Formats: sequence, C-alpha cells, structure tokens
Amino acid sequence: MKKLFAMLSVLVLVSMMLASCGSPAPAATEAPAAATEAPAATEAPAATEAPTVAEEVTLTLGSWRVDDVAAWEVITAAFHEEYPNITVKFDPTNPPDYNATLRTQLETGTGPDLYFVRSFATGRELFDAGYVASLKDLPGISDAFTEASRAPWATETGEPYAVPIIAVSHGVYYNKDIFAANGIEIPTTWEELMVASQTLLDAGVIPFANGTKDAWDINEVVMMQYIPSNIGGYEGRMAYLNGERCFNSEEMVASFQQIADMKPFLPTGFEATSYYDAEQLFAQGQAAMMLDGSWSIGAFEKDATDFEWGVFYPPALEGKDQYVTFHIDAAIGANAASPNLEAAMTFLEWLESPTFAELLGNNLPGFFPLTKDAPTLSDPIAADFMAFNSAAAGVDIRFVWEKLLAAPSGNVDAYTSLNNNVIAVLKGEKTPQEAADAFNADLAAWYEPAAACK
Amino acid sequence: MSQTISSTKRSGGMLSNENRRKITWMLFLLPALVIYLTFMAGPLFDSLRLSLYQGEGYTPTKFVGFQNYIDLFTNPLWRGKFFGAVRHTFIFFGIHMVAQNSLGLLFANLLSSDFKGRNFFRTIIFTPATLSVLVTGFLWTLILNPNWGAVNKILVAMDLREWALPWLGRENLALPVISLTSVWQWVGMPTVMFLAGLMGISDELLEAARIDGASEWDIFWKIKFPLLKPIIGIVAILTFVDNFNAFDVIYAMAGARGEPSYSTDLLATLFYRTGIAGEHPVGIPNMGMGAAIATVTFLILMAGVLLWLYLSRQQAAEEA
Repeated sequence: MKKLFAMLSVLVLVSMMLASCGSPAPAATEAPAAATEAPAATEAPAATEAPTVAEEVTLTLGSWRVDDVAAWEVITAAFHEEYPNITVKFDPTNPPDYNATLRTQLETGTGPDLYFVRSFATGRELFDAGYVASLKDLPGISDAFTEASRAPWATETGEPYAVPIIAVSHGVYYNKDIFAANGIEIPTTWEELMVASQTLLDAGVIPFANGTKDAWDINEVVMMQYIPSNIGGYEGRMAYLNGERCFNSEEMVASFQQIADMKPFLPTGFEATSYYDAEQLFAQGQAAMMLDGSWSIGAFEKDATDFEWGVFYPPALEGKDQYVTFHIDAAIGANAASPNLEAAMTFLEWLESPTFAELLGNNLPGFFPLTKDAPTLSDPIAADFMAFNSAAAGVDIRFVWEKLLAAPSGNVDAYTSLNNNVIAVLKGEKTPQEAADAFNADLAAWYEPAAACK
Repeated sequence: MSQTISSTKRSGGMLSNENRRKITWMLFLLPALVIYLTFMAGPLFDSLRLSLYQGEGYTPTKFVGFQNYIDLFTNPLWRGKFFGAVRHTFIFFGIHMVAQNSLGLLFANLLSSDFKGRNFFRTIIFTPATLSVLVTGFLWTLILNPNWGAVNKILVAMDLREWALPWLGRENLALPVISLTSVWQWVGMPTVMFLAGLMGISDELLEAARIDGASEWDIFWKIKFPLLKPIIGIVAILTFVDNFNAFDVIYAMAGARGEPSYSTDLLATLFYRTGIAGEHPVGIPNMGMGAAIATVTFLILMAGVLLWLYLSRQQAAEEA
C-alpha cells in the first residue's frame, strides 16, 4: 500500500511537471467561423466555374496588428462599399503569438481566408508548405509595386505570393522645446549629433531615451538605422550578401562605433530601461531624443502633448551619404485552402488601388503604403518621415532581414548575433572591432557566401 | 466496461468477500485512471516520442533518433544555452530554498507564539501568494525601474546614489533580484505549512522543556525542528518541482529571452522559446528540440523526486 502510494505520487508529480511544460498541445486553435468548413486545398478554385450570380461572402483577415482594429474597420468598410457582396472581417492575434497561431490554424484547416504574411523566410516557409496561394495570375501586381517591394514575398523566379501593403520608417523623435532651450539645431552629421548630445547632457537632460532591457529595440530601431548610411544602402548590403564584403568590414565596425559613441548619452540604468520606459521618458519630456519607428507616431501624438516635437533622420558620419531604413514590413496573402479564394483575390487586387493606399496611409499614420504612386499623407509627422526617403541617397530594408534570419539549427542567426553584440558594446564587454569580429564569426559559420570570411 | 461488470457479477459467487471488495475498489479507480491516461500519461509519452523527430511546423514528421539529444549536448550553441538554463534554474531553486523556506520557518515560528496582531501579520505574509505572478512581476518591474522606480528613488534620497543600480539590467543581478521577488510572493506558502506543523506539536512537550530550563533557542532546534522534518521535506520537494517548472515570473520580468543576455533564462523559458514561440523575429518553433529539452527537464525532476522519496522512506524506516 505504501509502495503503491509512493509510486502514484511520483507519477502524479512528474506528470504535473510534464503536462505543464512538456505536452506540445497546439496553442489557440479557435477557428474563425467562416473557415471551419474549408474544403481540401485540392478542390478546384471557384474561378474556373465562373459563377454568374454573386453570392454574399464573408472573408476573415488574420493579422498581428492588434492595435489597428479601428483603422482596419474603416478600410474594410470602404472595400465593402465597392464590393457589397464581400465582407472582410479583421481578426488579429497578439504579435508574439501570431506566427504560431497562424501555423496551427493552417495545419488544422481552420486558417483565415486572408492573412498578413511576414517578409522573407517566415512567409516563404508558408508558401513552400502550400498554405499561401500563388499570385502569379493576379492582375496588375507588377504595375502597382516596384520589384524591390515585391521581392520579400516572391520566389527567386519572381512568382509573387502576397501583396505588399505596409512599410515602416525609422527616425529620431526630438523634443523641439528642449532643442530650442539649449540652442540646438537639427544636426546634419553624426559628429554634430554627438556634440549636441554633450550639450544636452551638460544641461542635465537625458539626450537619448533608448535602453536595452527589451533587446529588440536597440537592434531594430537603433543599430539598423545606422548601418545603411555606413555601408551605402541596398548596393552595400548586396555586397555583404554576395560575400564581397565580410561582416566585420570597416563599415560594420563604424556602425558598432556609433553605438559605443551613444553610450554616455543613454539614461542612467539603460540596461533596465524597456522600450515602453524609453517612450515614456521621451513623452514626459525627460529625454530630448528617442530613436524609434514611425509606428510610434500615434502613441506620441496621444502621450507627448506638453511640448512640441518632430522627427529627423540620424545623420550619417561626416563625408558619408545619407541612406534611410524604410522597412517593407507586411503583405497580405490568400489562404490556398480558402473556399472563397475568388473573393479573396478580388480583395487582394483592390489592395493595389490608390483608394486603399490613401485609406491606409491616412488611417494608420506611420505605416506607409507601398504602391508606386504614393498618396499625399495628411499626418504631418508621417509626411516628414516620407520626406526622408526623397531627401536620401537611397532607401533600404533592415540589414539582416533578407537571407540572414533563418540559420540552420545550432547556429546563431544574424538578428540574434547583431542584437547580442550591440548590447555587449553598450555594456563595455566588447570593443566595436571585437563585436564586429564576433558578428562575422557567427555568420561565417553558416552563411555560405561569407564562408571565406572565417 | 459493461462486460467487465457483468463478468464480475457472474463470477461473484466464486470470489471471497475480500477479493470482491478488492475488485470494486479498482472499479472506483477506473474513471480517474482513464482521465489520467488520456490527459496526463498520453501527452507525456507523445512528448517523449516527439523528441525523436525533426521537421517544420507543429507536426514534425522526420524520425531522427536521438539526434536532438546529441545536438543538445554536443553543439556548442545548444549546449551553452541548455547548461546556462540548468545553472540558472539551480540558482533560482537555491535562492528559494535558502531565502523562502528559512523565512517561512522564521515567520511560522513567530506566528505560532501568541501576540497581538498575529492574524494581521499572517494575512500580510500570505496575501502576495494570492496575486497573479504577472501582476506582481509587473509591479516589481515598476518598483525596480531605474528611471522612476521607488527602490532607486529611496536610495538616491538616502544619498546612496551608487547603490541605485539597474537591478533588472545587469547579468549578475537580474536572476537573484527576480528570485527574491518570487520569494517575496511565495513565502506565505511554507509559512502556512510550517505553521500547521508547529500547531501540531503538543504544548506538553514545550512546557516540559521550559520547566527543565530550556531556552527558546534550544526548544526550536531540539524539539520543534526535528518534529518539523517531514514537513520540511514536503516543502523542499514542492519548491523543487515549482522552481524547475518556473516560467511566469521570468516571462513577466525579463521576457521569454531571459534578458539581460540570457542571464535569467530558465529551463522553462528555453523550452518555450525553442518548442513553442521560436526566436524573435522569425518565430518558427523547433518542436523536436523543444520536446527533447522538456524530456531532459523531466528526467532532472524525476531524479529529484526519487531522491526525496528514497530519503524520506529511509528516515521513516529509521524512526520505525
């Protein structure tokens, strides 16, 4: 009896443990009602049957943009007005869960009819697995978007599988009142920015609000803003991807050096300052500047109301041309297994129209439409961000996104390596040269074009 | 099911009363057993099976034998992450054992004596344990915030500016600090258990000791502590199991990556990143490897629980 009890208690204890951390039960599998009866992907698309009577159709649109529900309701309502028989329901998932949830839904045949597709590797994996419909027959896609905009959602042969809709930009948000009080003009070179930061620090103001607690922000909105100007934009990035330059080249060391230069101008305790903390420091007027993404326009318009503020692009080093990180971020694709594929295609085609571009740009300030003919934006700050592009020598996406994100198991991908090394420089654990060497070593280990850089 | 019952009935006449009672007893266990097998043991074995597979998405299909385990222990990156997580989990557990359980014992001892406001203090000590970890984690990140947190404000006001550190931002500080906030939250649990144990100690024993001239110190170490040993064992094993599964407090205070620089990465956060969420920004999970990590965690826990069982039975045998 005692023995049996002992054995049972072991079983219960260990199973409690494994049930909580071991069982890989699929996460949220809640299915949008419209897609639950999705037939197999092999069924011929409705288009071939050419229905003459337009039926009422409701499409679900999956997304990771939980904050944008109101704006998307305006956009989908405008679509419904043009196509009264199609209703699109925006149904977002929390950003950190989006990839996993979508994957589960698609594997169990309960995926949304339309969904936001991540750029490059993550989206490509879904296309290769057959979950995203090919758009090679979608009319107008080549005319509406440049090849550069289409590339993150196209195969090597140029077959598109999602319609690019959103780009985000990056810049330095600055407190105009503090700048004026200290007699500071918008700096035009990095050296001027550093002098201005010293002036601010001497005046008892925190120059930059940024911190490293959440890690991603120092990487995505700080480091990846510096890199394009140092390496020379798209062409420069291609030189790394082709193996013509090693990842510890002097341009990369210079970028790490800029991170090191910033260190004295970050808040005390920047190691424990989160992205949200940083935005609050700026919005409360405690910090003079913050490097952030264009997506924060809305947050600052709501919170930073006690002073005048604006944006400028972090200036290049003296003698270098200015390049802007204009990151092509999201596209919408159609679920290949959707029973309403034809209606989904109608929606995707509508995304190419100027109507959509204008609705998106003006309802979601800080998110920029990607159609070739950019609409005029009503939000002044959003318009300022757009002006960076025309003033710059060129624009490019974030450095590590193309080809460098998906490392084989047991290797460090470029995003993680860059992130860790940037933080190591800020904490004084590595010099800029050592950080660049470590970044290079991580990539040379698996990225074939860089193999010679070992 | 119905067949079993009818066959029992038919053969009922041949069975002795005692045997029939045994069978009935087993029938009562059956529903629980079915639930246990379907919802506990089933997924458990499925997880073990999954650790032998590789592949993309949520249904890895490629059988790779023990390759995931080989990678986990030989690939420098995986090995570094895994043993880092094991080390941090042991530190996390160690801090709880020492701080949480000693404090619990101390509080229980104080609360077991009669004084005014006893119930008030008992409530105070236990209250944090009733709150959600996400709530207390969020509150503590605010309190410890370097820019506007109360801790650093107080330190600066006391002219201890050099002590106003970024508590959650330094590799050597973050794990102890997070462990201590978790101790703060859960110290009520061992307190209540020890208190129950102390209440069970007969007053006659304590009175006799006092008459013999024993000091409070002697009474604690020579009478209360030995009698509390079984409860100390239970508290220890519960702390062990809880800490080796700990995830929420790290997730709330340091994120799934165990910031800063993986210094607070526990086995559960490593498992979550590997097997469920994937690494930012790609977010493609590696289910097979995740299951392998879960299995090794399971083996560590099982070893701990078996050790505890062995020791407690050894002790029982000594006392008998």
